[in-house]
Amino acid sequence: MADEIVADIQNVYLGAARNEGIFRNLNLTLKAGHTAIVTGGPGSGKTSLTALLTGVGFADEGLVEVFGESLRPRRIWAINRVRRMIGGVGGIFGLVPSMTVAENIAFPLVITGLSKRRRQAKLLKMLTEFSLLKKAGDYPRTLTRVEHTLVQFARASIGDQPLLIIDEPSAGLDQATTARIFEFLIKASLSGRALLLLCSDAPAHDLPNSDIYHISNGTLE
Amino acid sequence: MSRLSHIFRELGRSLYRFPGTALGALLSLALLFLLFDLFWIAAATTEQLYTRLISQLRMEAFVAEHVIDTEIPPLQDAIAHTEGIIAIEYISREKAREVLHEMLGTDLLIGYDSANPLPRSFIIEFESDALNSEDMASVCEGLSGFPEIAEVTYSQQWLKNAEATRVIIKRFGLALGVFILLTAIISSVNNIRLMTRARTEGFQQMRLLGAGRLFLAFPFLIEGMLISGLSAAAGWLAINYGSHQISLTQIEIVYPVIEEIVIFCAAAAALGAISGYLGIRKLLR
Repeated sequence: MADEIVADIQNVYLGAARNEGIFRNLNLTLKAGHTAIVTGGPGSGKTSLTALLTGVGFADEGLVEVFGESLRPRRIWAINRVRRMIGGVGGIFGLVPSMTVAENIAFPLVITGLSKRRRQAKLLKMLTEFSLLKKAGDYPRTLTRVEHTLVQFARASIGDQPLLIIDEPSAGLDQATTARIFEFLIKASLSGRALLLLCSDAPAHDLPNSDIYHISNGTLE
Repeated sequence: MSRLSHIFRELGRSLYRFPGTALGALLSLALLFLLFDLFWIAAATTEQLYTRLISQLRMEAFVAEHVIDTEIPPLQDAIAHTEGIIAIEYISREKAREVLHEMLGTDLLIGYDSANPLPRSFIIEFESDALNSEDMASVCEGLSGFPEIAEVTYSQQWLKNAEATRVIIKRFGLALGVFILLTAIISSVNNIRLMTRARTEGFQQMRLLGAGRLFLAFPFLIEGMLISGLSAAAGWLAINYGSHQISLTQIEIVYPVIEEIVIFCAAAAALGAISGYLGIRKLLR
């Protein structure tokens, strides 16, 4: 599992013009158990990076491979397979408004068709771990910003998704919750999961096996 | 929450959150199907009426004066072997006199017993398949070729008019069927679109988590099926209720048999499923 390439972005160009696009010769390799922290200002392309890795958007040129699957338009089955292995928090990831907290968290397991007994056990573990037991039957519109983020983290972890994409992990969170979130991220990284953190600035907390990149002018430095 | 229970929960949510849209769809489709059912009954009743009227149509071939009575049986036999003819009855001068007496209520030929001027003829009955202007004209032409036959008559113009009316009814029925089908699809598609529009965000999130198209579309296919199938059934229930309230003595109304109604409701449900898919298709791109 260790050193296994989870996501590979090679020579990617994205945007209308080669010299003025969002990405110009973007390269990033993310391995299992490693963390890539990508910093950049608003509009630098952090969300576009998430879109590329989840098959929401596609590169005009270059290669985007996630879990060995090349993400290209019309490869719906491959894209869905990849998406099921990604846990996402923030950015383009949100909650399904018509589902309760418990349903939102368990949804990745519903798609994979896990048995009800195992699903319930995992759901209970996540609700407990993220202190959401009392909120299990609530709908997202009734949640606070912190609870909203915690539900997303719980959903991103319930299926032990091998890749976690977290857009602004500490945005709107108090110090205690941020510390708790980073504790969780450290555990996730040590358990062999690959992490991609997208932040405006480098996080205050250290993460094991992490590399910090800065995205500017369409490339990673 | 298994995949199946998720699908039914989503279906329930859709109906629970938009009861007005669902009810509106149900009622408007029920009205459309009711209209279709009424036309179906009208067409079947008209067809039965037409068949009954046509089955009474006879051709009369008058025997030439020079034909002697002994030549009648072989002539009758020859005519009976003509394709499309199912029965033939010989009307002698005496029988013709009786018929005339019955029609007029008085015997006009009293005193003329030895010089009955009425012609002899054959009354020809046709198979149901041959009861059409083309086949009857062909038989008429064939019989006119017999030297023993002086004249052949039947209600040629009436038959042509009846056939033309039948064609018009059939064409109108077909056009109405297509029109109702299109209206039902468009109405269902729009209803499903209305229901899904408010849930776009949820759909996008579910897709982002790797939910397949069929998984997301299934609740709406079932919803379309349910609404359309129930509307069709409601239309027939209304017809069934109405049929018990109305009784006509002159015309026997032809209702479809239960198997036909079941097939119709199943077809309507399938139509609803197609509409459901069309309604959500844009969202799945």
